[in-house]
Amino acid sequence: MLGKGGKRKFDEHEDGLEGKVVSPTDGPSKVSYTLQRQTIFNISLMKLYNHRPLTEPSLQKTVLINNMLRRIQEELKQEGSLRPMFVAASQPADPLSDNFREAQPAFSHLASPPLLPADFVSTMPLESCLTPASLLEDDTFCTSPAVQHDGPTKPPPPALQPVKDSFSSALDEIEELCPAPTSAEAVAAESAADDSKAQPSESNIHKPEGLPESRTAEPKLMDPLPGNFEITASTGFLTDLTLDDILFADIDTSMYDFDPCTSATGAASKMAPVSADELLKTLAPYSSQPVTPNQPFKMDLTELDHIMEVLVGS
Amino acid sequence: FLGAGGGNDIQWCFSQVKGAVDDDVAEADIISTVEFNHSGELLATGDKGGRVVIFQQEQENKTQSHSRGEYNVYSTFQSHEPEFDYLKSLEIEEKINKIRWLPQKNAAQFLLSTNDKTIKLWKISERDKRPEGYNLKEEDGRYRDPTTVTTLRVPVFRPMDLMVEASPRRIFANAHTYHINSISINSDYETYLSADDLRINLWHLEITDRSFNIVDIKPANMEELTEVITAAEFHPNSCSTFVYSSSKGTIRLCDMRASALCDRHSKLFEEPEDPSNRSFFSEIISSISDVKFSHSGRYMMTRDYLSVKIWDLNMENRPVETYQVHEYLRSKLCSLYENDCIFDKFECCWNGSDRQVEFLSLCTSDLSKLIVMTGSYNNFFRMFDRNTKRDITLEASRENNKPRTVLKPRKVCASGKRKKDEISVDSLDFNKKILHTAWHPKENIIAVATTNNLYIFQDKMN
Repeated sequence: MLGKGGKRKFDEHEDGLEGKVVSPTDGPSKVSYTLQRQTIFNISLMKLYNHRPLTEPSLQKTVLINNMLRRIQEELKQEGSLRPMFVAASQPADPLSDNFREAQPAFSHLASPPLLPADFVSTMPLESCLTPASLLEDDTFCTSPAVQHDGPTKPPPPALQPVKDSFSSALDEIEELCPAPTSAEAVAAESAADDSKAQPSESNIHKPEGLPESRTAEPKLMDPLPGNFEITASTGFLTDLTLDDILFADIDTSMYDFDPCTSATGAASKMAPVSADELLKTLAPYSSQPVTPNQPFKMDLTELDHIMEVLVGS
Repeated sequence: FLGAGGGNDIQWCFSQVKGAVDDDVAEADIISTVEFNHSGELLATGDKGGRVVIFQQEQENKTQSHSRGEYNVYSTFQSHEPEFDYLKSLEIEEKINKIRWLPQKNAAQFLLSTNDKTIKLWKISERDKRPEGYNLKEEDGRYRDPTTVTTLRVPVFRPMDLMVEASPRRIFANAHTYHINSISINSDYETYLSADDLRINLWHLEITDRSFNIVDIKPANMEELTEVITAAEFHPNSCSTFVYSSSKGTIRLCDMRASALCDRHSKLFEEPEDPSNRSFFSEIISSISDVKFSHSGRYMMTRDYLSVKIWDLNMENRPVETYQVHEYLRSKLCSLYENDCIFDKFECCWNGSDRQVEFLSLCTSDLSKLIVMTGSYNNFFRMFDRNTKRDITLEASRENNKPRTVLKPRKVCASGKRKKDEISVDSLDFNKKILHTAWHPKENIIAVATTNNLYIFQDKMN
């Protein structure tokens, strides 16, 4: 945003969306109103999910964008649209968030009993009732649903979620205990995500298959983005870990899988020397040693290439 | 006010500009806060790199009666460092969000500076003397051989080159889960508040290991969160009163005497929405980015995306005055939403008290300030005269400014034919935003921060 400070011009095609906001009741302008609404909806989704900050995104911004999405959804609901809108809230099963949650007790040291200084200012006669800020540090940290990434460049596909009250409240209870999404929901979300993967850029309208029967027959609009206010780290955190897992997992296992090699280099338990040697073998095309593990090497290279592509792409 | 030469109109002249000249802006140099101290002698800026730079005004040169003292660098120090939150695997920015000066009590100066998570109390002190004439040490610090000491002398203080030292005296940490947006020192000068998106805490300046929560708007279920705290400030005279603004355009006034947890406001200030201006972006542009009490405490000013509003504390249902900062942007809100400009947080400020204002106040027994200032895009900033209801747009730019030349008023052409010297809305540079401005507490000197430069303007003294 802060490059050379060149003057900005507004795109021509956006002119149709700017100008006076048309009310939804105008006849011929209803199309442009709907178009504007749709555009804003898409922009809002992209803002929430394409943002991969190193620092926490602004809670205020997240809240405002969320409110925007909710308002549009309410409008659509009231208009009685039969076509459910996809909302990006895919919730893949998230074992990492459990670990995340477990780390929280580290903050218990902050929950010290409120000792009130005797010489506290006289402007605070009710000091004995005040809550020390330290006691508030048992906030649930973010374990919001992480976005399922196809790859670094594609926007994540939206997924469907039920709006049944009982289900939501049950969800809430479960989230209170364990913020990771329930498996049923995750499965449903994943299947929905799979369905909609094919059209990531299309704005809407698929009745997802594979949803559990608990969903009502009449398509309803989803509650978008539950718990995404704490989105902050999970998204970035989990993404990084996922890549790391791929990275290290693959390299490690490939290095350790040298059955033919172990016979040459000795017992299979010698992991470290094997790695170094095999790395040299990988790098030295003219290795004098019989490159019996050629096949694994080749697989490693292509996998490494793929991983590098993913990394560079991100 | 538009340079018409009225008796009381201020004519602003360029005085100084601080910062790098080239267009390539280093991220760390982006100015994030500007604040005069209580006397106006010191001017502090904070930047995205966590540094604080303090400028000091020269003593007025009696021979140069046509200009006030210039501001020169007095002290520079690294207030905050970037941190890493290992639990969330995220960086904690070192950017200085706010600086607030304490009133001066002795030779040293004190200020509070805060980033997203930690507030620090800094002491800035001068050293202009040093002891000389030790018996056992040479002047360069080497120890003398005791056997060579034949006489004794008493060390004395001798003048040295002025050295300004900044040292952190208190660190107030671990009290905010969310990002701190405001700090405000109480009129008792012993306590202060810090506000993040969902909570406001009360501190004592001497005590760092505990603070008390006085506002908490975090819902039990975060999914229900629809509103956050955007700014907070203590009343200038009443030490139990403070206000906080929200992302929905409301301001709540709270009295700490009413209850320990001030979740229930004493007053709620909110203007009903104008149905003719309704759009998808109504809520976002109503979000208040800054709130400032007037000097008397009878009024407060709020800044939302398109306007500045003056509220009388005795009237909750609507502001007493509303000033449009850049109404021509109303038709561009969709684009501004897309490029995130709609989330820019503009600040606003009152003018300091000067003789004119005090005289008028005495006549009308109205102790409010009379001119308010706020920033806009394209390095424009705006001033609104509450008395004459006139406004002016000025530009902070190196190009058109020579010292003691009166600034030329600028005008933006919203639509239709663009007159000469006008700028069309589509030509505005939205990367050049003035978010932070400050007014000297006593004189007509203003500090205006562009992205990485600090401009100082003065009124033309005749």
